Amino acid sequence: MKNPDVTIIGAGADGPAAAWRLAEKHGVDVLLIEGGPFFGNEEWPEPHVDKGGTVSTDPDDLDGKLLDDQISHQEAGANDPTAGYLRVGPANSSRAPWFRNLHQNAFIWQVAGVGGTSLHYFANHPRGYPMAFDEQPHWPIDYEDMLPYYRLNEEITSTQQAPMTAREEVFIEGAKGAGYDLLEDLNVTETGWRPQPNAIAEPPEYLDSDYEGSFSYDDGYRGDTLVGDHFQGSSTPVDAPVREKARKSSNISYVPRALDTNTNDGAGNVAIRPNTYVTNINAVEGPATGNLEATGVEVRDTWSGSSETIESDVVVLAGGCIESPRLWLNSDLPDDGWVGKGLTTHWFDWVVGVYDDEAVADINPDRQHMDPYVGQNSAVRFDKPGVGGLEDIGMSPGLVSFADYLFSEAGYSFDAEVDAGEPWDTRGYIVGEELKRKMSNYRQTKAILVLTDDLPRQDNGVTLDNTFSDEHGPVPDVKWEPHPDDDEKRDELARIAADIHREAGASHVHRAEWPPLLLHMQSSMRIGKVLDAGGEAKNVDRLFVADHSALANGVGGPNPTNSGQANALRTADHIAERYF
Amino acid sequence: MTRRGMMKGVGGLAALSMSNTTAAEAQDILESTLESDPHTVDTYRSIVDAIIPRTPQLEDELGPEHVPGGLAVELEKFLIWDFNHFHEIRSETVTQSGLVSSVGQTPRSRFEVDLDMRAVDSVLDALPVDIGLDTLAIDTDALDEHLDFGATDRYQVSFEDLESVDEGPVSFDRTIISDGDTYHRVVQNYPYANAFPFAFDLAAADFLARGQNEDQPSPNEQFAGGGTFVRLSRKDRLRCLWTIVDGGVIDRLDGLLSSFLPAVGLLKYVVMAANGLHGFGYYTEWSGYGETKTNTPSEREMQVDESEVQSRTQTEYPGPSDGYAADWRHAVDGGFTDEWETEDDEGDEGPPVELPDPVPDGLDGDIL
Repeated sequence: MKNPDVTIIGAGADGPAAAWRLAEKHGVDVLLIEGGPFFGNEEWPEPHVDKGGTVSTDPDDLDGKLLDDQISHQEAGANDPTAGYLRVGPANSSRAPWFRNLHQNAFIWQVAGVGGTSLHYFANHPRGYPMAFDEQPHWPIDYEDMLPYYRLNEEITSTQQAPMTAREEVFIEGAKGAGYDLLEDLNVTETGWRPQPNAIAEPPEYLDSDYEGSFSYDDGYRGDTLVGDHFQGSSTPVDAPVREKARKSSNISYVPRALDTNTNDGAGNVAIRPNTYVTNINAVEGPATGNLEATGVEVRDTWSGSSETIESDVVVLAGGCIESPRLWLNSDLPDDGWVGKGLTTHWFDWVVGVYDDEAVADINPDRQHMDPYVGQNSAVRFDKPGVGGLEDIGMSPGLVSFADYLFSEAGYSFDAEVDAGEPWDTRGYIVGEELKRKMSNYRQTKAILVLTDDLPRQDNGVTLDNTFSDEHGPVPDVKWEPHPDDDEKRDELARIAADIHREAGASHVHRAEWPPLLLHMQSSMRIGKVLDAGGEAKNVDRLFVADHSALANGVGGPNPTNSGQANALRTADHIAERYF
Repeated sequence: MTRRGMMKGVGGLAALSMSNTTAAEAQDILESTLESDPHTVDTYRSIVDAIIPRTPQLEDELGPEHVPGGLAVELEKFLIWDFNHFHEIRSETVTQSGLVSSVGQTPRSRFEVDLDMRAVDSVLDALPVDIGLDTLAIDTDALDEHLDFGATDRYQVSFEDLESVDEGPVSFDRTIISDGDTYHRVVQNYPYANAFPFAFDLAAADFLARGQNEDQPSPNEQFAGGGTFVRLSRKDRLRCLWTIVDGGVIDRLDGLLSSFLPAVGLLKYVVMAANGLHGFGYYTEWSGYGETKTNTPSEREMQVDESEVQSRTQTEYPGPSDGYAADWRHAVDGGFTDEWETEDDEGDEGPPVELPDPVPDGLDGDIL
């Protein structure tokens, strides 16, 4: 595909959704360009050591067993930000990751590759709160306008309710004890708890604690296998074809469908080109309007360093909340003061409960432990529209030690005092003998993630670093600080989380008091400021943004993937209506 | 001859080249070793020891598997490897002059360091402070009283090949003379791991000069190559690191730190990482990669059963699995409801594409 109708920059969670919609419904030819590797594709059998092929257009290129080989589920192997296979960097693992300048106690967690950060997400797919559309005046559209696209995205990603296992039963006991009711409707307007709506195929009915059979697809196993390895890129069930893997990251849900369009005579075509970094968006003054108009992109092969120009009728930015504004600014496109700004991140926190065996046994008479590695990573949640939400989390121990005890803005627990009346016993970093004691109780420990509805602020976001460049231009300089209002909301949610732990019988409650974790990033190129209501740049015609950066706020606190993908589908419809 | 012996006092790459090894192979060999100088190693060892110490006192309470700590699996190598592999520098982004020519361009002087402690009366005198020590807004006498870079006699970083590479990654020539031994390597990325311990020593001297220590510092035979930092008690080492995040160290010491760090602001992130990397290293499978644990990632292989890795015996995590037999249920019988009504909801066939009016100015809801 030399010069496609549409070039999409970035094959993360959202780019493949837009590509599929454009080709399948609107007959548009799409080139999807990705800076990172393409896992589970026969064109790239050794993605970290060998250049492999150039482009994939055939759905038969997808190979689930190859994906199993490449995704080890080992924690350091996957999640080490420098050496892990899920990092932001070139596919060539002998090279360093792509540098971002971060001048604060904070951590950016993203993934480069086909599937993007959805390669390691928990697949939680709640909808944004209706109030975040209708009562916070950021969005130029109503919640009702998004609903058809939420429903379509949930159908494609098999979104349904998560299964409850031993750990979730403890959370539910706590939430009920604290006086909260079950929410049964997908559109959340009240406070309560509910199972996660998530994009993971449910386990088979025959899976229970007595099951002794195989978990291999080749042996007939279908659906989720209850492994808590999703942050390592879980590719279960093993041996399954790519599209049959249980967790519907975009490389599982949208990428196979996008490639299927090449076998459908009535549809457009989709080509996916990994290992290719876009270094410039080309734009000229349009002959009719005099406005700037996107004409294509400059790209650079991450293995060879060779570059070329690709022309297209429309360009879509889907590189994520950091790379999309960085590329915009490196392309010298007009900056009206909001490009890269207004970044939200759900001002997370993390409240840890350690439980006695007896407390867990009272809730789960048949089990001895909660075992945070059994079951889905996050299968039950709490929602409070206007404030934010909570999620019950279980993970493997390396991630738990980092998130529970080694990531804080409160200093070390041996010096960090707890204010009288606060419902946690300790706060801050836990180290030394006490860290080892806590980790010895890993199997009876679980955490609750706080997701605060932080609002977009112009001070937060991405600029070009004035010191360092890489092969793609000046690197991103990233900054995020909370507003006092957001701190108050976070404190309120942390207290609710501690209360839920206490009601469930936790013997020790610890508040990590996280510094900024830039994981649920949204709104740095947002609709209503940089973009019009259709997702097209106000200052550059034929240039759209279709990733989480286009969201107008943090959708109230719920995980953003469902909203980002739904909006990408919506934007695809607007692209087609305007230009094809 | 040991590898360290071979490297002593000579250009490592040149020595290997002379032994009929190709340049590429020589580079691989140099990359495969993590041998580092005592100041670097002992500084990180002292952090590992503060965060995940050996704990014989836990044996009776929890069992013998809880006695060893991070040093038993050489966790310092994890920190050093990660810090030395996270920033590739490219020739086309480095300017030869001392001036920044445009956004994102770095003067070469920012990457080049030569701290020679052998001919100076005070360690501070070895720091190439452009503006002069007397202009710094700190009590340099008090700082000088405490500052020590341990076993380091000289620390040099220069470009190995900037002139010969028009475009692409450049290598650094890093030489550390320590107690008379020379540790020389050509490294692929900027050697931050060797630079940070100097910053930690400066922060420790500032910490002591300001009387923020709660315990008396003392010579530390366990980490004899380290400087001021390792002489702090375990808790004071961590308190000292925290002053980098929340104690104004970067502002106070900027004039000194910027003389040997390409970007001082990075230090707050480094303190985050120095703590957090214990999670990515110790409590994951990393030590189970054995002799391959500091290889290029694609060349690491598990050499120990996942459940037998030291930290895994302490957490009882069995390692990844294809699946788990467990009881489960659905909490919402029949699935979620979806009661919100829309005027035009036909799913895939026809979501509305009419554009609403643009958002009115002034109704953006921004706090700032």
